[in-house]
Amino acid sequence: MFFLKELEKTIQLHPSYFGPLIRAHIHRELLTKEEGSSTGKFTIVCILDNFDISDGQVMPGTGAAEYTVHYKAIVWRPYKGEVVDGVVTSVIRSGFFVDCGSLNAFVGRAMIPSEIKFDANATPPQWTDNGDQVIEKGTNIRIKIKGLRSEVDKMYAIGTMKEDYLGPLQT
Amino acid sequence: MKIKSPPGLHYPITVNKFVKQKDEEVQRSSPLFKYHYTSVVEEGDKYGDVKTVQRTFIATFHSSIDGTITKWFIKDGAEIQRPGVDLVEIEEPCTHEVQFGGLCVNCGKDMTATDYLTEERNDTRATINMTHDNVALLVSQKEAARAEEDAKRRLLSAKKLSLIVDLDQTVIHTTCERTIAEWQADPENPNYEAVKDVKSFQLADDNVAHVAANWYYVKMRPGLKDFFDRMSTMYEMHIYTMATRAYAQAVAKIIDPERKYFGDRILSRDENYTDKQKSLHRLFPTNTDMAVIIDDRADIWHYSDNLVRVPVFNFFPGAGDINASFLPKQQELVSATPKKAVAEPSAKDEEGDTAKPVSVAGKPTESVPTDTTNGGLTEIEQQLLSMGAADAPEVIEQQAKEQEKVIITQQTERPLLKQQLLLDKEDEAAGEEETTEVAQNGDSQEHHKHRHSLLHDDDQGLEVIEANLVRVHHAFYDEYSKKKTGAQGGRVAALRGEKSPKKRAIEDFVPDVKNLMPQIKHDVLNGCVILFSGIIPLGMDVRQSDFGLWISSFGAEVIERVDHKRLTHVIANPDRKTSKVKDAAKNPRIKIVTAEWMFQCCTQWERVDETPYHIEVSDAERGGSPWEFSEEDIAITGDEEGEDTTTEAARLEMSNMSDDKWQALGDEIDDFLNESDESDDDNNSGSETDDSDASQNSTSKLQRRKKRTLERVTSLTNVVTADKSSGLPSPETTGPEEEQGEEEGKVIDPAAAAHDVDSDSNDGLEAQMLAEFERSASEDQPVEVA
Repeated sequence: MFFLKELEKTIQLHPSYFGPLIRAHIHRELLTKEEGSSTGKFTIVCILDNFDISDGQVMPGTGAAEYTVHYKAIVWRPYKGEVVDGVVTSVIRSGFFVDCGSLNAFVGRAMIPSEIKFDANATPPQWTDNGDQVIEKGTNIRIKIKGLRSEVDKMYAIGTMKEDYLGPLQT
Repeated sequence: MKIKSPPGLHYPITVNKFVKQKDEEVQRSSPLFKYHYTSVVEEGDKYGDVKTVQRTFIATFHSSIDGTITKWFIKDGAEIQRPGVDLVEIEEPCTHEVQFGGLCVNCGKDMTATDYLTEERNDTRATINMTHDNVALLVSQKEAARAEEDAKRRLLSAKKLSLIVDLDQTVIHTTCERTIAEWQADPENPNYEAVKDVKSFQLADDNVAHVAANWYYVKMRPGLKDFFDRMSTMYEMHIYTMATRAYAQAVAKIIDPERKYFGDRILSRDENYTDKQKSLHRLFPTNTDMAVIIDDRADIWHYSDNLVRVPVFNFFPGAGDINASFLPKQQELVSATPKKAVAEPSAKDEEGDTAKPVSVAGKPTESVPTDTTNGGLTEIEQQLLSMGAADAPEVIEQQAKEQEKVIITQQTERPLLKQQLLLDKEDEAAGEEETTEVAQNGDSQEHHKHRHSLLHDDDQGLEVIEANLVRVHHAFYDEYSKKKTGAQGGRVAALRGEKSPKKRAIEDFVPDVKNLMPQIKHDVLNGCVILFSGIIPLGMDVRQSDFGLWISSFGAEVIERVDHKRLTHVIANPDRKTSKVKDAAKNPRIKIVTAEWMFQCCTQWERVDETPYHIEVSDAERGGSPWEFSEEDIAITGDEEGEDTTTEAARLEMSNMSDDKWQALGDEIDDFLNESDESDDDNNSGSETDDSDASQNSTSKLQRRKKRTLERVTSLTNVVTADKSSGLPSPETTGPEEEQGEEEGKVIDPAAAAHDVDSDSNDGLEAQMLAEFERSASEDQPVEVA
């Protein structure tokens, strides 16, 4: 689910950037460092333009200046039970991996409807019901998050497609 | 899952009452039974006195898992004495066999959670990773075995085996030098033919080299596509490389653009957990019966029996394995690469010489290996030092930096370009010489225009590999069908007989590659007894060295000393005649061969004919003493009288010499004097060629001294080859044997006697020889003989 969240970030700036363009430097630094990063709980999708930079403070010993930036960002946080769309990245015998933006999900064999079977001899290997449902690398797929765990900068999810309207998306 | 009595309770405990009965559902942390125990506690009364009393407490035992109770192992009122007693069996709805990133794939629960009831974390149930491209997915032992069983059936029905393919220097060779791109763009370049099919790529997230946009140039081993085509009918192929994932995928795109050979079966350093070794169990955790590996390095596989070691593919000379710089370098590899490099160019030169009669072809490439050998030694030392520091992060960082250094060196210093320029220069020089020569011989003129190419596109390693792999495949399925028909016959018999037919497990008639391959290999050099000389660095256990292990895997026995009864082959360095070689040369039965013979045998899996690899040992060395004489014999017979005959005979020799011979002799002695101790043997080998029948040579004192100096020679020093061309007898050689017999002990030369008291040092030896020479030369007269 997407949220608008207020965040804070401390940015250190090398003395060579001190000058009239200092705000632009801080802005760029913020965008490159923060956008797309994941804290383990949520992913920062987009930083809004309206942000607030504190007065800089020169760090003793280094000469670098430290700025605290308050900003608002659109963040995405997956929840258990949420339905997400993703792209299949890898297909193996015990299931397949799905990339949902910053979230890496796995759909195990038990979470796949029984009519969809694994075909190891196909190149590339695929899960298929020998009809119009084919899951191979690159397939767009809709899954429901069944379990979620976060580590320091990563999130893992278990997905299922054993419910109505889940499965490969028709392109 | 069985629940056992946990540690940490006040044993003995007595069960009071079951809260849950058989077939009842239990929740985690819900009570299973009540029990009581007795304990000694201190109690204070209202007067403040403290007493220790024994009390009985009642407590509840909680379930640590969800599920249904299937069996109670204890009875009401039972007393449990110690931890580890079976209490109850609870069937879980999910056994968490497959886990992804700490989550159970089937129930979605967090496996890493712990609380006061946790005895063993759930993530210990699934610890095996058998996916190629993901480290987060783990399975349990049971699940892994099941998956492998499936894979096995599939492979058997398709009549295939699994083949693990290494990338760098096995099927491809990569360099980062942009010279390749320039050569590719220039059809005039002598290397154009060789490099025109070289593919290049860049890695987007290249954090190895901070140099912008690093290009990798990949040369496929000749005939790779056909090799894969044929092999994919017999093997299901996997890539297993020590390179990064991005690199592996980029290379896979080049060697397998349609993804039909490998699919997604690519395993790289990123998924390997360790960057120090490869393990078959990473891909086949329980069963490696049907896996065959091809790799150019055996050490990182711990000399696995599944390994088919292949000749190193070294297309860009000196480039090495850019991804191995990250690995801990094994000593074996360091010594192996240059030797291989020596051997290969020489083979090429032979071909080259027949095609175009130019003699310089080998020179520049030969100069390369000596450089690497010396460089390699310092690398060994560095590695030994760094190995001590174990897995510290600084070490890993340092390794990463080393790899970066290698790449940057290739980019900036461009060793290939330098080598080519050197080659061109030598071509020019040779060209001038040969115009005159060829004009005389009336040979073809065309080749003068030809610049020599540095790169040779004539590697035939894949043919050899293919032959071996086909052999293994046939052996496996022959054995399989044999066992299978046997088993079926047995089953029919069993059906007819009184015994109930038991369905035999598939394992019973699937042969094991681990047993088959060593059998095939063992027959190759069976019965050979091998001695290495001048090949393996001193101070290394010969049998445990890379070459030693390699050749023993083919059935040969490696020994460390010359044993005339058993020894069959000496593998020696052709440039140096060590004392071992000379000793062995006395026995015509013992074959003295170059290391190339070993490489050929071990790569072709055949005992190849030794003749082309034979090292010529001059007759003098061979006939210096009959081979029946062992070193001990020589030591015993060597006495003063022997020395006398030597000086005697030397004078005899000298007396028969003409002036120009004297000149040559003088040069030779000068050479000898200028040389360091280590090169004695060369002088010796060059000078003794004439006296094939002088059997008592070795009894002279000089000989013995030389032998002593020889023994001080380390095999690591690279000897400057002395001029062997003169072929003149040197003063220390004696005349014919019969003469010695007659004159033995009759004349004692006073000078020689005086020198006899000289110390054993080499100064004494040199002084003695010099004095002898000067004296004889100044007289220039035949010395009187009795």
